[in-house]
Amino acid sequence: MSSALWIAILASALGTLLMRLLPLLWMRRRLERLGDEDGLDAMPQWLSMLGPLMIAAVFGVSLMPVKPDALSWIATAIGIAATLAVWWRTRTLGWPVAAGVATYGVIVTILG
Amino acid sequence: MKSHAASSPSHAWLAGMREAIPLLGGYVPVAISFGLIATQAGFDAWEAVLISVLVYAGASQFLFVGMVAAGAPLWLVVAMTLLINLRHVVYAPNLAPWLTPSRAWPSLMHGLTDQVFALALARLPQLPASQRLGWFGGAALLAWASWIGGTALGALAGGELIARWALMGEILPFALPALFLVLIAPRFTSRRWSLALGLTIVVALALTILEFTNLAIPLAAACGAMCFQVMTFSPAKPAKPAKKEQHTQGERHE
Repeated sequence: MSSALWIAILASALGTLLMRLLPLLWMRRRLERLGDEDGLDAMPQWLSMLGPLMIAAVFGVSLMPVKPDALSWIATAIGIAATLAVWWRTRTLGWPVAAGVATYGVIVTILG
Repeated sequence: MKSHAASSPSHAWLAGMREAIPLLGGYVPVAISFGLIATQAGFDAWEAVLISVLVYAGASQFLFVGMVAAGAPLWLVVAMTLLINLRHVVYAPNLAPWLTPSRAWPSLMHGLTDQVFALALARLPQLPASQRLGWFGGAALLAWASWIGGTALGALAGGELIARWALMGEILPFALPALFLVLIAPRFTSRRWSLALGLTIVVALALTILEFTNLAIPLAAACGAMCFQVMTFSPAKPAKPAKKEQHTQGERHE
């Protein structure tokens, strides 16, 4: 690998790290400056609103099946319903995910 | 969600790892694909692994090797890689109110991917302060290790693996939407939040179907934010007497 390519990899890595790190340092300084105020109140409203919305967006993107045919979409819809149903009953993290993957897998395997 | 973290820091690490296991269903197949594509693009196996170790950002890694293989100028490759990762700037500040004063936090930010952020934003507020660093360290480390291990597997034996276990590669990634659904479901606490979150999900999915995957997350979140703000200024029913705001999840702006 050429040295120019190495520099490109390192620049990408460093830039990505700084995008994850610098906002943390900025926010920590802001929280320190505001002292006793509740941490959530110290956060700009637009920023605290974006957190849940980003998760929703990642969820939307991840709904796209690996192989987007009719069967996969049906399996996705049923798998999501199974996940939601188990979450509604248990309010846990692991069981709904396991139930969703199992349901999706059964449908893809049986009907595929 | 129930709290699973035990009392000692080592248990917090293990609890973080255990709760990050669903991420592996999405990480490992994608990492195997990356390892395979990187070697097909002319990178050595160890070079592909090193990219996963250092950059550790799925979509931008695929773009990086793809653009390098296509002969794009390296400055453009770096610029596009960073542009795709720009969404990460809002992640750490959202977690900051729940982070303890430890100096170890900045070094853990390398592990703050989309998925780890989603998990941490849901779980950190539920954990006692003494458990948060260990929990995040365990979750982030497992996710990072699975990404690196998956890349190595893909680079060394990706073609054979995908040929032999094609169905598993199709089924396991469903762990990601299932996990995100569990993380986002408790946020549907009001009509305003439900509309904003629902719109965000639909826009993100639509953009992904239209193959604008890299734009989908920031654009969809922006649409959701606009929806949330518009709802603020809509004519509303007479408000109930103001109560002291409770900082439970999804209720911060009610």
